[in-house]
Amino acid sequence: MSAILEVAHVSKRFAMGGVLSRRHVEAVNDASFAIEEGQPEVFTIVGESGSGKTTLARMMLGLELPTTGEIRLSGRSMADRRGRAAKIEFMRHAQPVFQNPFEAFNPLKRVDRYLDASARVLLGARGRGAIDAAMDVALHKVGLSLAEVRGRYAHELSGGQLQRVAIARALIPNPEILVADEPVSMVDASLRMSIVNLLRDLRDNLNVTVIYITHDLATAYYISDRIIIMQKGYIVEMGPAQTILESPEHPYARLLKESVLPVDDPGRERVQAPDRSLALAAAENSGSGRLVPRTGGRSVRMNAE
Amino acid sequence: MRTYGFFVLKRFGQLLIVVFLGVSATFFITHLSPLDPVEQTMGRLTRQSGFSPEAQEAMRAALTELYGTDKPLLEQFYSFWSRLVRGDMGPSLLAFPTPALRLVKRALPWTVGLLTTTVLITWTVGNLLGGLAGYFQNSRLLKAFGVFAIGVQPIPYYIVAFIMLILFGFLWPVLPISGGAGMFVEPGWNIHYALSIVHHSILPASSIVVVGLGTWFLGMRALVSNVVTEDYVTYAEFGGVESRKIVGSYVIRNAMIPQLTALAMVLGGVFSGTIITEEVFSYPGVGTLLIDAVNAGDYTLVLAVTSISIATVATAIFVIDLLYPLLDPRVRVR
Repeated sequence: MSAILEVAHVSKRFAMGGVLSRRHVEAVNDASFAIEEGQPEVFTIVGESGSGKTTLARMMLGLELPTTGEIRLSGRSMADRRGRAAKIEFMRHAQPVFQNPFEAFNPLKRVDRYLDASARVLLGARGRGAIDAAMDVALHKVGLSLAEVRGRYAHELSGGQLQRVAIARALIPNPEILVADEPVSMVDASLRMSIVNLLRDLRDNLNVTVIYITHDLATAYYISDRIIIMQKGYIVEMGPAQTILESPEHPYARLLKESVLPVDDPGRERVQAPDRSLALAAAENSGSGRLVPRTGGRSVRMNAE
Repeated sequence: MRTYGFFVLKRFGQLLIVVFLGVSATFFITHLSPLDPVEQTMGRLTRQSGFSPEAQEAMRAALTELYGTDKPLLEQFYSFWSRLVRGDMGPSLLAFPTPALRLVKRALPWTVGLLTTTVLITWTVGNLLGGLAGYFQNSRLLKAFGVFAIGVQPIPYYIVAFIMLILFGFLWPVLPISGGAGMFVEPGWNIHYALSIVHHSILPASSIVVVGLGTWFLGMRALVSNVVTEDYVTYAEFGGVESRKIVGSYVIRNAMIPQLTALAMVLGGVFSGTIITEEVFSYPGVGTLLIDAVNAGDYTLVLAVTSISIATVATAIFVIDLLYPLLDPRVRVR
């Protein structure tokens, strides 16, 4: 069994400010994990804003290069993928879905033009019939059809529909990996579950590994196989989703779980804010220690004792 | 396309209203000014010859009759419009009794020719270079051009114009510094005359281009560097769209929309801008004509020049407005 996507000791530093007030921000710090081939899963990265989860996703997509460390797709480092041919080869294996579907489509072009380009360039479809067929197949995978979408502009579709079209476009080259960065946070709450279920179906029926990036623990709990919890650029807990979400060990992971609002008794009882000591412990422990293997196949960042 | 037809019709209605209001405003401004056209004409006609007081009175009466200045303002306003729609703006005082409109018609091709070419060249080249500079942010050549643009752009236009005049008309006299065409070239549809016009327009045109280019370049570069960070550009790259197509129809086309609005606004300002150009280079256009008319108190001619300018500018903006829905599908639905 070999890894299709390997993230090996990846760090990313950004320089902030001007010449005089320059300082560096460690967006991602020494992240390592691997996605195995032939074993589709929903791999979730959870964290608050600024935790580095989006930077990690952008590095996995080759949009940023790591400052140190290496990301390899099918054994080939992202840094070596230069030139159009290498990039297209990469895009056949990994595709993105972004947060805001309205920003993901050119407002001046019909949405099917994107699908068209993907089918032509990435799938190598030739001729009107073959391109249309490829588009229709991909759209059916997300519960739409070419007839519904053809000739429509982004502003003529709803957010949920548009996000489905975005996923369909990503599915055209039949990628093994889909990197979905907050794919449901801009979609209406009522439609959110349909997108989440769609991601699950992609794993179950089409053998796509979904790297699901979110701050929403509830949906993460619902579909994840494995989970990473990030805080301020550090992975603080990593392992099987069910184990971690049922009994988180790291203070930050516990804080996250405590922060999920209960829906069992709405309006009855005043919602208890999470224990303040937990928040303090989470802040105090950020970035210190190292990942230690624990029971149940998980690793937790702990101080060496 | 029924909605587009409706849109065109609606905009055309607005165009007529704008022209009516603009021309009316000019009418009232000129007629409420203390300058009396009858006295102005009298002054010009009687300056050199000794007319008898009776003859002067008769002349004054005839001129008052001609201009209708003794009538109430609203009646003058009505007769002004009823003459205007027939294409008559009254005689010029400067070149009495030549109709003012004929003078404008003679000057207009010079101004429009100079301005449309320069504005379009500046807009196209500036936006294209700015777009490329925003997309290829590491290009040395485009970076150098950006520095040049930032350096030239804040210099007032008339200073650039005079510097160019001195450089190419005096220190290295290769270009004619005044006039619209050579004095001894016979006007008409012949190659010598055309070449002479082009030759004479190089200096005024390039002075406008040099100053305008920087503004468009910097504006477009800023717009494009915003657009390239949009998700849909990244998406297009992941969709395998060719990079030439991304630059053209994803980046530049999206950044172009505000620039098109800005073009319409610049067109609104060209007629006032051209006055300086035409004065500096003694170009025989509408700007020079307007200055002469104002100095001579020739208010029919002032009125004619401004009316035509208003109509021309409003029409140009109307045409640009019609292009909008073709460029931006979001405007179409309304």
